[in-house]
Amino acid sequence: MINAVEIKNLSKSYNNGFKLGEISLNIPKGLIIGLIGENGAGKTTLIKSILNIIKIDTGNIKIFDKDYINYENIIKEDIGVVLDNMFFPELLTLSDIDKIMGDIFKNWDSKLYFDFLNKFNLPIKRTIKNLSKGMRKKLEIATALAHHPKLLILDEPTSGLDPITRSEVLDIFQNFVQDEEHTILFSTHITSDLEHIADYIIFIDQGKLVLNENKDTIVDNYGILKCDIDDFNKVSREDYLVYKKNKYSYDFLINNKSKIKKKYRDFVIDNISLEELMILMIKGDK
Amino acid sequence: MLGLIKKDFLLIKGNLKLVSIIFIVLIFISFEESSNFIFIPAFISIILFFSTFSYDEYNKWDAYAITFPNGKENIVKSKYLSTLLLVLFTVLITMIIWIIISIINNNLDIEYILLTSFGCFASVIFLQSIMYPLIFKFGIEKSRIVIFVGIFILIAIIGLISRNIGSIPIEVVSLFNNYWMIIVPLIIIITFSVSYYLSKKIYMKKEF
Repeated sequence: MINAVEIKNLSKSYNNGFKLGEISLNIPKGLIIGLIGENGAGKTTLIKSILNIIKIDTGNIKIFDKDYINYENIIKEDIGVVLDNMFFPELLTLSDIDKIMGDIFKNWDSKLYFDFLNKFNLPIKRTIKNLSKGMRKKLEIATALAHHPKLLILDEPTSGLDPITRSEVLDIFQNFVQDEEHTILFSTHITSDLEHIADYIIFIDQGKLVLNENKDTIVDNYGILKCDIDDFNKVSREDYLVYKKNKYSYDFLINNKSKIKKKYRDFVIDNISLEELMILMIKGDK
Repeated sequence: MLGLIKKDFLLIKGNLKLVSIIFIVLIFISFEESSNFIFIPAFISIILFFSTFSYDEYNKWDAYAITFPNGKENIVKSKYLSTLLLVLFTVLITMIIWIIISIINNNLDIEYILLTSFGCFASVIFLQSIMYPLIFKFGIEKSRIVIFVGIFILIAIIGLISRNIGSIPIEVVSLFNNYWMIIVPLIIIITFSVSYYLSKKIYMKKEF
């Protein structure tokens, strides 16, 4: 097994006109995969499809090499999730969660759960309702990790966390994938988080897969070529993907940095951050 | 599934105080007039249990619980089992209190107490069987009005039957009198099973 998740020709339409897909992609085992895109691009729809929370219209999904419907219960023993605003009813306390989950997951590890609560400074006796937004996220992460999952599916796990906690949490994720059997699918629009820890980037825009690339490849090959307004015509069409007009200059998105650097010696060619890449691909003109 | 049942009981645990107070009040009222109040605890317990659906809905628990092994099937199963346990427990406690009071008052009629308690259990489970497929289909918020209409209709039917008891053909009455011990449990078992089957079917198709 090389891939933790394999998706083939997935599509899902909603009555409101939104359509996801068709999407085919693999999520390689042992890595952190970042899922990026605008709000409403289809990130959560993709995650819900993988977890069979919604029914897909076409396509098939394999998790750990097994069909995700036929082997759903076996597969789900090994998946931990943090979903956006979906969790235990908030009248329950943190120790209630331990009592409940112990009967749900075969591998639930109470000690590990309480270790995480300690580490995150979360009060055991308090109800979920009385936690701050950041504490609540930390609780969700602790709960997702405490049954020793092989695959973590995280929808916006770092939103609402302060910078210090965020780096703590990212460290935990990185430790998690030290084990080569472990995989993380991590959706976020805080792209700087992924800059640090992601190995792969999946980029979805308006329900379509627009980029599925190794992060190092993105860093090495993608870039921005900057030129003055007057020099627009000096850049030939086959050398860039999209461009964006600024007040006094043009930004061209390129995906072949070393070659372009040789060809356009007079222009500035910058490295690109995931955020810039995302904005250019969404807002740029062809 | 045990985990999900635990979850529902932990959720209503906070209301136990209220329920205990109702029990105590009931005991005092029962000294005066016993049987009329015997339905109250069971009805309160089921209405209390309906609140677990509200809590679930508010925090989108269902979508989260579907990510557990056997999630979808167990969510439906656990709701039915928890309700059954809760109603059974409430009716038994009420019955025990009633028996104790009757002994103190020196007017113990054990057959009457058993029959009334069973009737109480049966009508609450009947109500629940009608409600749950609706709740699973439309969600608790939309089903709330239906719940009140349902309780009202149930009371109306009971009232109508008892008022017109004379106009029911004597054959039907005697048939019922002779075989109610089979007829009533059969009706309850059938409605409960059909209701569970429907709810499961509805829930399996549902998306969150």
